[in-house]
Amino acid sequence: MSKELDTLLVPLHVSYIQNLGKNKDDLMYHLTAHLRMNAIYWGLTALCTMNHRDALDRDEMVEYVMSCWDEEAGGFGAHPDHDAHILSTLSAIQILLTQDAIDRLDIDRVVKFILSLQQPSGVFAGDSFGEIDTRFSYIAVNALSLLGRLGDLDADKTVGYIVQCRNFDGGFGSRVGAESHAAQVFVCCAALTILDKLDEIDTPTLSWWLAERQLPNGGLNGRPEKLEDVCYSFWVLASLSMLKKVHYINSDKLTSFILSAQDPEGGGIADRPGDMVDVFHTHFGVAGLSILGYPGLVDLDPVYCMPAALIEKMGLRKGWQALERRAG
Amino acid sequence: MAALKVHPKVYWIWNHRGWCLNNVPSGPGTEDEGDPRGWEKDLWNKRVVCVLAWSYRRVVLASMPIPRPETSELAYTTRKIEANFSNFSAWHQRSKVLLSLWSKGELDPKNSREDEFDLVHDAMYTDPKDQSVWIYHPLARWFRSACFLPLSIQNSRDIQGDDKEILEREITIIQSLLDEEPDSKWCMESLVHYKSLLLRNHSLSANTSTLRRECIALLKQLREVDSGRKARYDEIELELAKS
Ligand SMILES: [Zn+2]
Repeated sequence: MSKELDTLLVPLHVSYIQNLGKNKDDLMYHLTAHLRMNAIYWGLTALCTMNHRDALDRDEMVEYVMSCWDEEAGGFGAHPDHDAHILSTLSAIQILLTQDAIDRLDIDRVVKFILSLQQPSGVFAGDSFGEIDTRFSYIAVNALSLLGRLGDLDADKTVGYIVQCRNFDGGFGSRVGAESHAAQVFVCCAALTILDKLDEIDTPTLSWWLAERQLPNGGLNGRPEKLEDVCYSFWVLASLSMLKKVHYINSDKLTSFILSAQDPEGGGIADRPGDMVDVFHTHFGVAGLSILGYPGLVDLDPVYCMPAALIEKMGLRKGWQALERRAG
Repeated sequence: MAALKVHPKVYWIWNHRGWCLNNVPSGPGTEDEGDPRGWEKDLWNKRVVCVLAWSYRRVVLASMPIPRPETSELAYTTRKIEANFSNFSAWHQRSKVLLSLWSKGELDPKNSREDEFDLVHDAMYTDPKDQSVWIYHPLARWFRSACFLPLSIQNSRDIQGDDKEILEREITIIQSLLDEEPDSKWCMESLVHYKSLLLRNHSLSANTSTLRRECIALLKQLREVDSGRKARYDEIELELAKS
């Protein structure tokens, strides 16, 4: 590892995120329209975790979110002319809450949109086209909880489907029959945590499987025999923090791995050292470091993937455990 | 703000639909309709060993007019595993098919369990470093994650009654593999797990002080060969002291 990569380059990452919003002529801008709302949420949350919440203009952000409202569906699209999708709807809710602008939201309509996506089996679809996945179940549970409307959800039916996705290795898949994957483990653990159904998880087996995600170079992979990737730092660590087993991971080695994937010139974090950086891996890399107690970062709630202080203030904090924050 | 851009590489949360469209050669409704083998052979020939291909395969199988019998699906996973023991997706699919066959009463859990042990022992001895097999190990399935099984199977005497003999037999087999591969962390880890189960579930008939001593020695070695996961081994040792 080069010398400059042994610390988190906070000012560089902040300016990297600020600069992402500046070039509309770029081809990437048009290619990634379907990710815009998520990208803003990733950028904002990364800034909050690095204690630079005001680095992006709040009012401009709130106006952009509101311009993506799909009046017909009652949810948010990723871009002003896009149909509502549950992914961008959750991101919109998270942004509005973080920016203290939730009063702009027609909560009843959004709740109705989310509930309309639940299928007879108990799983959720992402939009009216009907692709189903346990990650949509998590998103629905997360969003309803944030809006204080979990009581409107058929929780037994929701949990019933998630439990059917549990595998012999203790993990969870994207749908009934699908194999375990760390990101899918995260969404199922978090949904069960929010619904107070953590007893549906086989903790010893799952925490063993999660601990085995760490590779000799310190990075984490998503499934056995696969390559490491910075974003799994979050999926695996957040799951372990809900099971109170973050200490199963070697923190020093993972910290070095995440830091080594930084771009020391332009800022940002890549999926692994030497690759092109992006806001997704920047956010999940910083999020992973926060759970590991990296000095100077702000606590992130691993269940909701939002600033912990905000979740605590809303009375939604669950019994997760991160590593203690180290002094800088 | 509207210009916030993202590098358009494949992200986990987005890639599912696109991946299927781009990488599964031809699905149902094409010339291969009704026979998943055609496109599937193609798939394997291209060495697209991917979890999504297996998911897609499940979708295809489920949507076929006459469902393909699960017994032939089981045979299919056997062939895949024998061709490459390190194929986690095939092991996973196998666990699902077996569970379904057992719960429908189409396969006797007791007999088929012995077949599973044979397959797993082959795999263990072929490549002791591969983690697929250690995660799949039948004991792992039945004891590590009992809640994975439906109650009807969990409680059946076939599974419960001879559990001590099976534990002891597996410990012997894994121990002899460890003798050949003295640094194998998977052998040591499994031995600790199964010995702890003997301690916990058969404390009256087992030699508890010897078992405990053996576990502690193995854990000490594990902390050396697998130092990154030291904290977990420490915690297991603490639990052991309490039991
Ligand atoms: Zn990634």
